[in-house]
Amino acid sequence: MDSMDSSVASPDLGLELGFPFWVASRRRFKPDDPFFASGNLERELLAKHVALDLTEDERFQLQRMEIADANLFCPIAGCGARLEYLEEFEDHYNTRHMASCSVCFRVYPTSRLLSIHISEVHDSFFQAKVARGFPMYECLVEGCGAKLKSYKSRQRHLIDKHRFPSSFEFYKKAHPSKHQRQKLQRKAYKGGDAKDQESFMDLDAKKESKQTRPKHYRPKQEVKSGTERESEMEVETKLHHPQTTETKVVTNSEAKNEKAKAETEMEVEERIEDIVSGISKLSTVDASSPSSVSFGHRHSRGFAFVPRSVRNQNQISKREQTRKP
Amino acid sequence: MASEDTSPSHSHHRDSIKSSVGNTAANRRRQQAISIGKERREALIRAKRLCRDSIFDDDDNEKGLDEGEMVIDEEQSVLNARTAQTVQELKSSLSYQGKDATQKTIEALRALRKLLSKSEVPPIEAAIQGGAVPLLVQCLSFGSADEQLLEAAWCVTNIAAGGPEETKSLLPALPLLIAHLGEKSSVHVAEQCAWALGNVAGEDMELRSILFAQGALLSLTRLMLSNRESTARTAAWALSNLIKGPDPKAANELIRIEAITDTIVKHLKTADEELVTEVAWVVVYLSALSDKAISILVRSDVVPVLVNRLVGSESLQLLIPVLRSLGNLVAADAYITHSILIVGNDITDQVLYGLIKCLKSEHRVLKKEALWVLSNIAAGTLEHKTLIFSSEAVPLLIDLLSAAPFEIRKEAAYTLGNICVGPTKGSDNKSDIIVTHLVPLVKGGCLPGFVNLVRSADVESARVGLIFLELVMRGYPNGEGPKLVEREDGIDAMERFQFHENQEMRNVANALVDKYFGADYGV
Repeated sequence: MDSMDSSVASPDLGLELGFPFWVASRRRFKPDDPFFASGNLERELLAKHVALDLTEDERFQLQRMEIADANLFCPIAGCGARLEYLEEFEDHYNTRHMASCSVCFRVYPTSRLLSIHISEVHDSFFQAKVARGFPMYECLVEGCGAKLKSYKSRQRHLIDKHRFPSSFEFYKKAHPSKHQRQKLQRKAYKGGDAKDQESFMDLDAKKESKQTRPKHYRPKQEVKSGTERESEMEVETKLHHPQTTETKVVTNSEAKNEKAKAETEMEVEERIEDIVSGISKLSTVDASSPSSVSFGHRHSRGFAFVPRSVRNQNQISKREQTRKP
Repeated sequence: MASEDTSPSHSHHRDSIKSSVGNTAANRRRQQAISIGKERREALIRAKRLCRDSIFDDDDNEKGLDEGEMVIDEEQSVLNARTAQTVQELKSSLSYQGKDATQKTIEALRALRKLLSKSEVPPIEAAIQGGAVPLLVQCLSFGSADEQLLEAAWCVTNIAAGGPEETKSLLPALPLLIAHLGEKSSVHVAEQCAWALGNVAGEDMELRSILFAQGALLSLTRLMLSNRESTARTAAWALSNLIKGPDPKAANELIRIEAITDTIVKHLKTADEELVTEVAWVVVYLSALSDKAISILVRSDVVPVLVNRLVGSESLQLLIPVLRSLGNLVAADAYITHSILIVGNDITDQVLYGLIKCLKSEHRVLKKEALWVLSNIAAGTLEHKTLIFSSEAVPLLIDLLSAAPFEIRKEAAYTLGNICVGPTKGSDNKSDIIVTHLVPLVKGGCLPGFVNLVRSADVESARVGLIFLELVMRGYPNGEGPKLVEREDGIDAMERFQFHENQEMRNVANALVDKYFGADYGV
C-alpha cells in the first residue's frame, strides 16, 4: 500500500503524469507481506526455544531464507548486478558506477557512457567526422548499436525506441555544486582575464592554425555576478581516440548552458574550420587512463564543450524547454 | 544478543529441545541447533511445533519412565531401521485378535511415538515409508481406548511437523482428528488432536482449506474455551494457523461465531502470557484478513486490553502479536484514530508510551512494527501529529532514520514525513505542509537520513526520500530548502537517477533537479 499514490498534475515540475507529492495516509499490509516476515520468523524461533541459541549470523541467514532477499539487483540501467543485501549497494555504486571524466569531472555510471561522453565532448576528431556527415552519435543503450548523425536525432532515438523521458539530456545542464561555485568565485576574484570568457576548445600552445582567437564569447544575456561566469578548467589530459594520432586538447568548460545559446553561427563555423584544419597537428589526449580518472564523489559539474551540431539543434529545443519557474 | 523471555515458570513446554541441563546429549542438541544446516533451518522457520513431552503435566510416572531414555542418540540409518521395525510391530499388533490386543497396540504406538519425539531428527520419512499412516488412522478409529488415541495422535502430531510431502500424507487422518476434538473426548486426547491439526494447518493454504471444509474451525474454537490453560493455548495456536490465510474465509467465519470476541477479551486478560500470546495471534489474523472482524473488534474491549498489554509486558513473544494486532487495526480503520485514540484520552497517551517503549527496545521487529503503527497514527489528525511531534519520539525517530538498519529507516521516514504533512489540501491540491513541524525536524538533523534513503537500491525508499526532499524544497521558509538539501549532497543523490532503470524515479528526480537546481540556482 502506497501512501503517495495520488499523483498531482504538476506542470510546474514538468511532469505530465503528475508528481507524487507526499500524502499522509495509512499503510496497510496483508498478513503474508514481506513486511511481517521477520516478525513471523521471530515467533517461530521463540516458540521452539531456539532463539537464544542463535548467533546474529545465523539469524541473518534464517531471515534471508524467509524473506528471499535474493531478488535484489542494482537499479542502474544496464547493470543488473545482484546485490546480496541492500547495504551493499553503496559500495557497489561507488566501485562500479562512479566513472568520472578527468577533463570536466562529470560522473557517469558506466565506463561505456564515460567513453561516449569523452568522444562526443572532448574529441575534436569526433566533431570533425560529425561535420562531414558521418553518423557518430551512438545510442546510449548497450547492445542497441544504432548510430545517429546528430545529438538531437540520437535523443529522438532514445525517446522513441527506448522510451527515455523527453526530459532526459545526456548533456545535462550543469548544476554547479557548492564546490564548483566556489571555484567560479575564486576565478572571478583573480580578475577576469580574457580566458574567463572563453568557452570552447582551444588548441594548445602550438596554435599556428588558430590565429584568430575566436570572437570573445559574449553571452546574449547580461553577465551576471562572478559566480555565473564560466569556469575554466585548463587541464591537460590524455584523451585516447583509437583512430587518431595524438591530440593534445586543452578544454575549457562552461558553467551555464544559456551561454551556449548565444554563440553565433559565424563564430562556430570559424572554429570548426580551425579544428578540422588543425587535426593533423593535434594529438589525442586520453582522459580515461587510471592516473587521471578519479573515483569517488565528485561534485564539480562543469558544462563541457558543446559541439556546434549540438548547439544548433538544441537551440530550438532549449527555447521550448524554458526552465523559468 | 536479544533477551528473550524463556518463561521458566510454566511447567511444560511444547517443544523443549533443551531437556535437562548438563546432559551431554542435550548439549549436542544445542550444538546441532547452532550449526544450522538447510534442513534444520527450514524446520526452524516452519509454523510447526514438535511435541517432545507429554501434554500431561500431572503424570510423574510417565515422565519418570521417559527420563531414562531422554534422548535416542543414534545414527540416522539405525534410527530409520528401528522405526521401520516398530511400524511392523504396530501392524502385527493391529491384526492380532487376542485379548491383549489393545495393550500390544498401545505399546507399539508408544515405541513409535518415542522414536518420533526423542530423536534429534525425528525419523518421519522412515515412518511414512514403513506404512505408518494407514495404521495410525486405524488406531484413531472411534471407540478406541483413550491411551491409544492419545499415542496415535501424538505420532501424527510429529509426523505433521515435517515437510510438505510428509504432512500431506496425513490426509486420511484429518477427519478423525477433527472428530476427536469433540466435547465427549477426553481433554488430553482433544488437546493432542488439536496440536496435530495445528501442525497440519501450518503447512499451506491447501491444507487449511481442507481442514476448514471438514469443519475444524468450530471445534477448535470450542476447545479454546477450555478452562485448562494448556488446552486453550494449543487450541488458540492451532486456530491461528488455520485462519492465517491468505484466503480470508476462515477468518471471516471465525468472527461470526458468537462470543468469540468475549472469549478473546477474556483470554487476553489472563496472567498466562503464553495464552495471551497465542490468542493475540488469532487477533492478528482476524484483523489482517477480515474487515468484518475489524469493525467488531474496534468497538469491543479488545483495543484497550491490547493497549494494556503493550504497556505492561516485557515479553518479546507477547509484544509481537499485540503490537501487530494494534497495527492492523489502526491501519485498516480510521475509527480507531478518530474515535478511540483521541488526543487527550488516557488510552492515547498509553499507546504512545507503549510504542515509544518499543522504539527503545533492542529488538528489530518491535522497532520496525512500532514505527509502522506510529506512522499510521501520524497520518491521522493534526492533533495526532502534534502529539507525536511534542513527544520524546522525535529524537528517537531522527536517530533511527540515520543509524538503524534499512527497513527501520524507511518506517521512521514515513513517520517523520507524515508528521510534517497535514490532513488537508491546499487549493493547488497538494497536502499542506506543517512548517512548524518541518523546520524543527530539519534543524534536528533529519535531512541526511532522507538523502541517504534517496541513495538506496530499494525503489520505494528512494521515492520516500525524494518526496520528502520535495517537501523541504517547496515548504521550508525563505526558500532555504534547496540550499539545505544541497548541503547534504542532495543534488548528487538525485542526479544518480539519471541512469536509473525506473522511469518514474528518473522523471521525479530530474524534475526536482530541474526545478530547484536549474539555471537560476545560486543567483
